[in-house]
Amino acid sequence: MELTSSVLDMDLRNVETQITRFIKEYFEKTSSEGVVLGLSGGIDSCTVAALSAKAIGGRRVLGLMLPERETYHEEDIKHAQAIIAKFKLKSQLCDITSILEAFYGAIPVFEISEKVSKGNIKARTRMIYIYYYANKLNLLVCGSSDKSETMMGYFTKWGDVAADIYPIMDLYKTQVRKLAKHAGVPEEIIMKPPSPSLWPGQTAERELGIKYETLDLVLYGLEHFMTVKEIAEQLVLEEEFVNGIKLKWLSAEHKRRMLLTTKLAYRTVGADFRLRRG
Amino acid sequence: MKQKIRVALAQISCAQGAKEVNLKRIEESVVKAKKLSSDLVIFPELSLTGYVVRDQIYELAETIPGPSTDIIENLARKTKMHIVFGMPELSEKTQATIYNSAVLTGPNGFIGKYRKMHLPTHSVFEEKRYFRPGYQAAAFSTELGKIGLIICYDIFFPEISRLTRLEGSQLIICISASPGIRRSFFEILTSARAIENTAFLAYVNLVGIEDGLQFWGGSRLIGPQGKVIVKAKYDEEDLVTCEIDYADIRSVETFVPTLKDLRPELFEELRKSAEKL
Repeated sequence: MELTSSVLDMDLRNVETQITRFIKEYFEKTSSEGVVLGLSGGIDSCTVAALSAKAIGGRRVLGLMLPERETYHEEDIKHAQAIIAKFKLKSQLCDITSILEAFYGAIPVFEISEKVSKGNIKARTRMIYIYYYANKLNLLVCGSSDKSETMMGYFTKWGDVAADIYPIMDLYKTQVRKLAKHAGVPEEIIMKPPSPSLWPGQTAERELGIKYETLDLVLYGLEHFMTVKEIAEQLVLEEEFVNGIKLKWLSAEHKRRMLLTTKLAYRTVGADFRLRRG
Repeated sequence: MKQKIRVALAQISCAQGAKEVNLKRIEESVVKAKKLSSDLVIFPELSLTGYVVRDQIYELAETIPGPSTDIIENLARKTKMHIVFGMPELSEKTQATIYNSAVLTGPNGFIGKYRKMHLPTHSVFEEKRYFRPGYQAAAFSTELGKIGLIICYDIFFPEISRLTRLEGSQLIICISASPGIRRSFFEILTSARAIENTAFLAYVNLVGIEDGLQFWGGSRLIGPQGKVIVKAKYDEEDLVTCEIDYADIRSVETFVPTLKDLRPELFEELRKSAEKL
């Protein structure tokens, strides 16, 4: 297999149709009133918001803007609002700063310098808000995780990844960019460097140490059972570097597959209870 | 035996695990197909239960004959139609041994069944976890000609279609539950099986979404020259019909004489090589 950018090409119309059909199907199947999602103003959440609106109508899509002081960017709010206006979504803005500060002050062992632990509180607090609205208004939580981040474990367990459905989880970031454009997400949102907004100045590509254009090809190669050596040779990368990506992918499985226990009984949750989702 | 028959391809979506709902959908489609003067109506793989039912299969599986085949048989008698549908079949001799089966009934009752021989257990498929494979190809003599039955992944193995054809099948029916990612394979293989066997081939696929799997529909009836005679919509429920004339096989058999040119001695070689793979 030749690892060039063309392997990530898609029939965008078909992909959009499949995703909108998927959202509509689960909206109907669960008898919910609509969907709710955290709308950060980044490409993933804006794309999912746009696709949700196309699937079930903007009035059934609630975009929650959940900024906080440390990572606040006027531009992100502006971008979220542009999507809300363009796709006629319902919206709500909740500043979560005071809740975060309450957490920081209430946890006896809290260390301000531990930015990952602190940042994860932000992602999980957003999750609590989103699920509150979902419970209160009978909405389905629509996740915005893409395949690149999910494979790399680049998300907060029980945080931003917590959702009922994940419409774009089988698309790499560079594919999301193409789909976003096709779905009508404004160019400035697509071009903006992605960030999970857990601490100031954080960008995904800097933290992952690789551009998405290359990362997605490495992950595509791994997905298609290519060896580290083959991928490294084709993309002119160090084998050690590619192997590092592979190890990150493998070691993050605990974040993707939940409910681990030790088998003690006849049939076990998460192991051999194999039930349909309904 | 009829020389010309009208075949209906009933491309339905199924309610997962809800046999009563699916039996109702089957009945509605049979009535619709009857109104369109069809002799035979075909439903997708596991159309009685839906495809993704996982552990629920143990409570859904039924013997053949059983309560659900009784209902379909009555429907066939009442409408004077032939009906093919798919269901999980519980072995009569055991309590949890299940086959992925296709059932053929007619106006005079049950005609025959086929147990899927190739059970996909890779990618998103986990059929070997739940089903025991069948051991016999199936071709049945009916008022509508000799009919062969195969199921979905069987179509990747030309020997199953070939066996039904060598038993005399003029119409090979493939019931299927194929997700969209496999569409291009089936579009090629359905025509290939028709051409190489110089037989009609009816392919009926599921539609709808089950646990995130989107089934692509695209059911079709293919002539013995590989030409698509009628095709249902992609991704949506649909019911299409067309008339086929078995006399068309004769001219193709002379023009592409694959049966005449068969080399049986190769089959023994195939067996030997396959065993050493």
